[in-house]
Amino acid sequence: MSLIVLENAGKDYISGEIKVPALKGINLSIDAGRFISFVGPSGSGKTTLLNLIGCLDKPSEGKVFVAGVETNRMDRKTSAKFRGANIGFIFQNFNLIPVLTVYENVEYPLIMVQNVPPEKRQQKILALLGKVGMTDQRNKYPAQLSGGQKQRVAVARALVTEPKLVLADEPTANLDHDTAYKVIGLMHDMKKEFNTTFIFATHDQKIVGEAEVIYTMEDGLITKTQENKIAREGN
Amino acid sequence: MKNIIRIAWRNLLRYTRRTLLTSFLIAVGVALVIIFSGIGNSFKNEITGILTNSNLGDIQIHKKGYVGSIDNLPLDITIPEDGLKQIESLLDKNPEIRSYSERIRFGAMVSNFVQTTNMRLTAVYPEKESKTCPGLVKRIKEGDSNPNTFVKPGSIVIPLIVANGMNLKIGDDVVLVATNKEGSVNGMTFKITGISENIMGPQGKDGYIHINDAKSLLRIENGEITEIAVKLNNFNRLKKAYKGIKNELSLILREKTGKPVFEVHSWEELSPFSSIAQIVTLLIMVVRIVLISIVLISILNVMMMSVYERIGEIGTIASIGTLPSNILALFLSEGIILGFISAIIGNIVGIVILLIINAIKLRFTFGMMEVSLAPQIPIAEVVLTSIIVVSISALASLQPALKASRMEPVEALRHV
Repeated sequence: MSLIVLENAGKDYISGEIKVPALKGINLSIDAGRFISFVGPSGSGKTTLLNLIGCLDKPSEGKVFVAGVETNRMDRKTSAKFRGANIGFIFQNFNLIPVLTVYENVEYPLIMVQNVPPEKRQQKILALLGKVGMTDQRNKYPAQLSGGQKQRVAVARALVTEPKLVLADEPTANLDHDTAYKVIGLMHDMKKEFNTTFIFATHDQKIVGEAEVIYTMEDGLITKTQENKIAREGN
Repeated sequence: MKNIIRIAWRNLLRYTRRTLLTSFLIAVGVALVIIFSGIGNSFKNEITGILTNSNLGDIQIHKKGYVGSIDNLPLDITIPEDGLKQIESLLDKNPEIRSYSERIRFGAMVSNFVQTTNMRLTAVYPEKESKTCPGLVKRIKEGDSNPNTFVKPGSIVIPLIVANGMNLKIGDDVVLVATNKEGSVNGMTFKITGISENIMGPQGKDGYIHINDAKSLLRIENGEITEIAVKLNNFNRLKKAYKGIKNELSLILREKTGKPVFEVHSWEELSPFSSIAQIVTLLIMVVRIVLISIVLISILNVMMMSVYERIGEIGTIASIGTLPSNILALFLSEGIILGFISAIIGNIVGIVILLIINAIKLRFTFGMMEVSLAPQIPIAEVVLTSIIVVSISALASLQPALKASRMEPVEALRHV
């Protein structure tokens, strides 16, 4: 069974009296455990598509199913609970909570979203910080970290709840190439270890090569689907 | 909840200068309320104590209609002997009452054989009067101030204003001339044994004689009197005791009309100072309202700014699954913590200032009364102010918190 199914999903934005279509009748099916990339120029609809898949927004038409649940019918509370249980997010600007340390940022979803008991929490966080190489930095605040370190923490935060799906919108846009490759490599490793589905939107053609399937978008449509045979080992 | 409070606290520390400034403003408001309330209540209690302890008593009982004509000190509206016995038997049984004092009050002319002036006389049994108004003898500045003998038959205590005006001193003789209720005029000679402060204010010319002398001067042959002053065991139970006495006396009815024979008044109904006390209470209320406004505007302003500055962050925490109710709780907690901490600081500052005032003991003259302010810590006011500040903080944070919790994550994330 597919993890994500979009049936003729469309999204319009209203600007004044003008209806601006951001997505036009997308049909898509993504299986669990894949490493997927959406590429395309600004305004092509990548972020809108990620928002629909991530239950942050609802389609104007069509249906979106994530883990077998139709997201259109969820209210705000159900939607928040669903995201907390099933989806991790990685943002272009890292979006770490500035008043919390590295450890506390990773801990946040476990206490505020999943209410995990303290002993289990600590075990999970330390294990994950070890995997992303941030154990030594765990007591630092985001302002004391480099961009790459922040994104590593963001990856750990996205994975700590063991979601079925991680969505990353331009995760490498604010990183230099080396760091970007390291972060994507980290996401790969995590995908292998936890069988998590990773979907990221990017402009960066070099990063795109890391994905198993590349969807190219233009003007709200998927114009090209490409299986990447030379993606990292194990794909 | 512990985690929400921890994050809320960190968020407050994030904008240290703003938090400190707001906290300072609220703390100053709270301190002002505590200081004003402490001083205001101390002033009220001091003056009330002086008035009730030196002249009025806590409650007074008269024949119906007496207080309406009290300016004339009428001698034809009196409590008759049998009525007095009825009242005394009720008062003796009442556990709220510490003591009571029978009085005859009347107007008279006083002469030193050269000059003459008018005076208000209160005729009393000294022991009973001293128990009912224990502060009276303290206000006798010259002469005999023994509570049991400050007026003896043939002696008079005159007020300072009369002593100065007529150049009288202890041991001098004066003649009192008074008209009784039948219209007959009589005079008696008295020896001055005490000179008191002007007990009822700067214009008050109140003197004291023994009640037996008053009966002779006014030719009262039976045991009638004009009033009974009552002292309670606990002044704080005034309203309850007043109501109890009033209810009991209302059962004593005139045979002809079936209406009550006696009337009961608390000190508040007999003294114009009760209006000043009410104004002080009103001023404390006004200061409280100013404080509420300060808290409301400050917290609302800070929380609105906080929400607008953190739209992106709200989007992040909402997108990773934080429930709207938890976002609401987070912002509410920030406002409440800010209010709570400010209230604690303000209370501490207010209490410390009151303790300093208490140690210094501010003294001043109110009318002719020497008032010494020794404000107590207004515990009730401290608790009430803290509750008000925290409640208003919660109220002021509610709108920004609701706004934050209702933000669509996708909209909020666009602000990053």
